[in-house]
Amino acid sequence: MKKETVARGIRLLRSVLVLVATIESVALLSAQQTAITKTALQVGQRAPDFALLSDKWETVKLRDFRGKENVVLVFYVLAFSQN
Amino acid sequence: MAKLTSMDTAVLGISVDSPYANEAFAKQIGVTFPLLSDPKAQVMTEYGIMMRPKLVENYEYKWAQRKTFVVDKDGVIQHIEEGDGAVDPYRAVAVCTRFRKTK
Repeated sequence: MKKETVARGIRLLRSVLVLVATIESVALLSAQQTAITKTALQVGQRAPDFALLSDKWETVKLRDFRGKENVVLVFYVLAFSQN
Repeated sequence: MAKLTSMDTAVLGISVDSPYANEAFAKQIGVTFPLLSDPKAQVMTEYGIMMRPKLVENYEYKWAQRKTFVVDKDGVIQHIEEGDGAVDPYRAVAVCTRFRKTK
């Protein structure tokens, strides 16, 4: 009788541990994922227009290139970091 | 870079740096294309390259992914380069050459 209770206790403990481990790994996974604040653009979609200040303090608009030039947009992380 | 401009292609760099920082950075590395300033990361958010902010105490750190978009003359995205390859302009050159041939 007592032995059975102990065995049940161990089984219960084990399942709780497995559950905790699962939750932990799921949480870890989602934290590692590059969660993006807005859905990423796809090839074939229209590139959203923008107007930004350049290093020469001039406004550069994407729409100004339309019909004239292709544009390569290079998003880099931070200046001086080779990134 | 000269290779790209010869193909009717403009290059634009975008980061959260101020125009002051970009001015200095442009001088340091000697870029010939404009470096654009997106201090509030509005354009980056629009392009979906912002990663989930990391909260340290009460300060929210925001990070962007490195990404390169190739936009054609009609304003349509033709290619997206992610990760380390995104810094290498040669890949973008190759893409431009490719879709130039197809047109």
